[in-house]
Amino acid sequence: MRLAVTALAAALAVLSVAACSSSGGGSSSGGGSSPGGSASGGINPSASTLVVGEFNPFTGPDAAFGPEMVGGCIPAIRVINADGGVLGHPMSCVQEDTRGDPADAVPAAQKMMATETSLVGVLGPSSDEALATVPLLNTGQVPMFVDTGQAAFDHTTDAYFWRITPADDVKGYAMALWAHAAGYTRAAAVFGNDTGAQSDVPTLVSAFTGLGGTIVYNKPLALDQSSYRSEVESILAAHPQVIFTEVDPQTGATFLSELQQLNGLLPVIGTEVSLQAPWLKAVNSAIGAGSMAKYFEGMQPYAPPSGPAWQTYNQALLASGSQVAKPASQWSSDPYSMTYYDAVNVMALAMLAAHSTSPAVFDKDVMAVTEPGSGKTVVTSFAAGKAALAAGKQIQYVGAGGPIVFTKSHNSTGAFEAAKYVNGNLVLVGAVSAAQIAAISK
Amino acid sequence: MNTIVPAIGFGIVTASILAVAGVGFTLQFGVTNILNLAYGDIMTAAAFVAYLVTSAGLSVWLALVAGAAFGSVFSVLLNRCIYTPFVRRGTRLFGMIIVTIAVSLMVQNGLLAIFGASFFSLKMPHPSSVHIAGMVFTTVQLAIIAIAVVAMLLIHLLLRYTKLGKAMRATAADPDLARNCGIATDRVIDLAWAISGALCGLAGVILVMNVTAFTETTGSQFLIPIVAVAVLGGIGQPYGAMLGALVIGITSEVAAAIFNPEYKDVVAFVILVIVLLARPQGILSEVAARKEVAA
Repeated sequence: MRLAVTALAAALAVLSVAACSSSGGGSSSGGGSSPGGSASGGINPSASTLVVGEFNPFTGPDAAFGPEMVGGCIPAIRVINADGGVLGHPMSCVQEDTRGDPADAVPAAQKMMATETSLVGVLGPSSDEALATVPLLNTGQVPMFVDTGQAAFDHTTDAYFWRITPADDVKGYAMALWAHAAGYTRAAAVFGNDTGAQSDVPTLVSAFTGLGGTIVYNKPLALDQSSYRSEVESILAAHPQVIFTEVDPQTGATFLSELQQLNGLLPVIGTEVSLQAPWLKAVNSAIGAGSMAKYFEGMQPYAPPSGPAWQTYNQALLASGSQVAKPASQWSSDPYSMTYYDAVNVMALAMLAAHSTSPAVFDKDVMAVTEPGSGKTVVTSFAAGKAALAAGKQIQYVGAGGPIVFTKSHNSTGAFEAAKYVNGNLVLVGAVSAAQIAAISK
Repeated sequence: MNTIVPAIGFGIVTASILAVAGVGFTLQFGVTNILNLAYGDIMTAAAFVAYLVTSAGLSVWLALVAGAAFGSVFSVLLNRCIYTPFVRRGTRLFGMIIVTIAVSLMVQNGLLAIFGASFFSLKMPHPSSVHIAGMVFTTVQLAIIAIAVVAMLLIHLLLRYTKLGKAMRATAADPDLARNCGIATDRVIDLAWAISGALCGLAGVILVMNVTAFTETTGSQFLIPIVAVAVLGGIGQPYGAMLGALVIGITSEVAAAIFNPEYKDVVAFVILVIVLLARPQGILSEVAARKEVAA
């Protein structure tokens, strides 16, 4: 028996270590040589390391979110540290696993704020845990660059809340516009019953019907069931021409494979969730590469992989190959990874502009280093921004994800792109402009 | 009406998976008095074994055998190395539930550490559709139904017509009396873990054959309906679990066809509550009343 208890304790210890290394609490300085190979002069060896929390799910149904965030944070601190850090401080990224569940995310946020004494900001939270944790982070004066798309934050007054990626309701507009442009007039809305997916639905329905279409089926889907055949039958009975969807990979694979078995596939328009690697892998295996290329399109924020800011990002990303989920190149054209990269750069530049690493001081300068203005110097990298600020200039940072223009509610939105998955690669097939979205959302 | 007949067919597929899983779960509890909440995770682990087998280019039938064998061996070792020492120290039912939850987390995190946070699929031939009496099945689903029928038949033959089956039923009914009658209850319990573990592993593989993509939490997400099947049938009652699987499987699919699919589980559980109000010991239980369920 003693042997068994000892074995149990040993197994628990081993698994705890494994869980920590795989899912949370891990940190990385993203150091090493810079993309260009320059030394990291300027960092004060005795200065504390400024921490950016990667506050997102790294395990659970939305475990794909975390690695995407790492793909942006690590390249950012690489370029920042290579250029001497921020006011002499090096920076690092620390993973905080929310498990995609408020019950886990709240204590994770409290632990992070209590233990990370040099925490200067976080990336996240996602829609899974935002409602529960945004108030906590805001009260704790932690600047957060969220990836939640919940419309509840469209008109927030939280001073430490910043959203570079479009809100979910905007995503609904983009999907409706894209389907309308393709000539579809009858659509089924098949969204998971989780908060994040359901927040897409109201604007999708209002926009699609406003454009003359009809939503013939709109019922939330319980996630991760062993079968969706009855739901598929009900959907088919409504005769949609296209299916709008946002569900997790397992649900998507089961649902679409059963649709394929019962009827043959219909055109499917997904959200950015369905353009993430785990979703593509799961569904591609379930329905086959040919069907995937023929029937599936996904909408995601438009961030073309080109331009000087993107080149700096991509160079740093590829140089960080051992510190991000492999292959590093999968994040090269990921708009969320790009915006996380931008978020860390924006925080670092705001600190320089404020001459302070205190979030309570530099938070207001986030707007100052991003908003356009006459006489401002447009910069596309941390190094250029740092040099311009040191020269006494005002700057506008234009990132890998494009210009960032915050509203007074700290929201910034842009255009959307539609992509197909062909031969293992995402292929851009079109875009919905910010102007189109603005016109329909009035 | 157009959707109800197909929904019954879909329910039979769900019931087949639930029956294999539910019978294993309830057999385990009936003989050992351990409510093993790591059951769903062992299903997942068996599915990963099947994934390795099919990834090596071997047949999915071999993967089924490998998954069942893994479930059997893992369950016996789990009982011998972890559960039995706690039972011998006098840990009661509630304490054992906590131990099984710990094991569940260990297995999940172990799979996460080994395979990573991703989604996996068994490599199988693409199934074709078959129409039978207004119901639509794929060849994979027909195979799942056949596997479940054969497994249930074997369990029936084992319990009714073999000495081991009688010994298992006697141990489930009253372990002390069975021991006093000369039954080697420790050996019977070992064999019960082996057989229920094999069903667990088999259930894990047929579950992921059906859902097509799985991750380290897939089995645990399926645990609640499995427990519901066991409770509905009368916990510890394999035949009750078979009946419970049919009730839960078919009602949940029909409910999804008629009502809002978001509430398919809710409808199934409302039926569970109604049945239990009328018959608290479950549909077929003779044993539950004698178990220290509330201990």
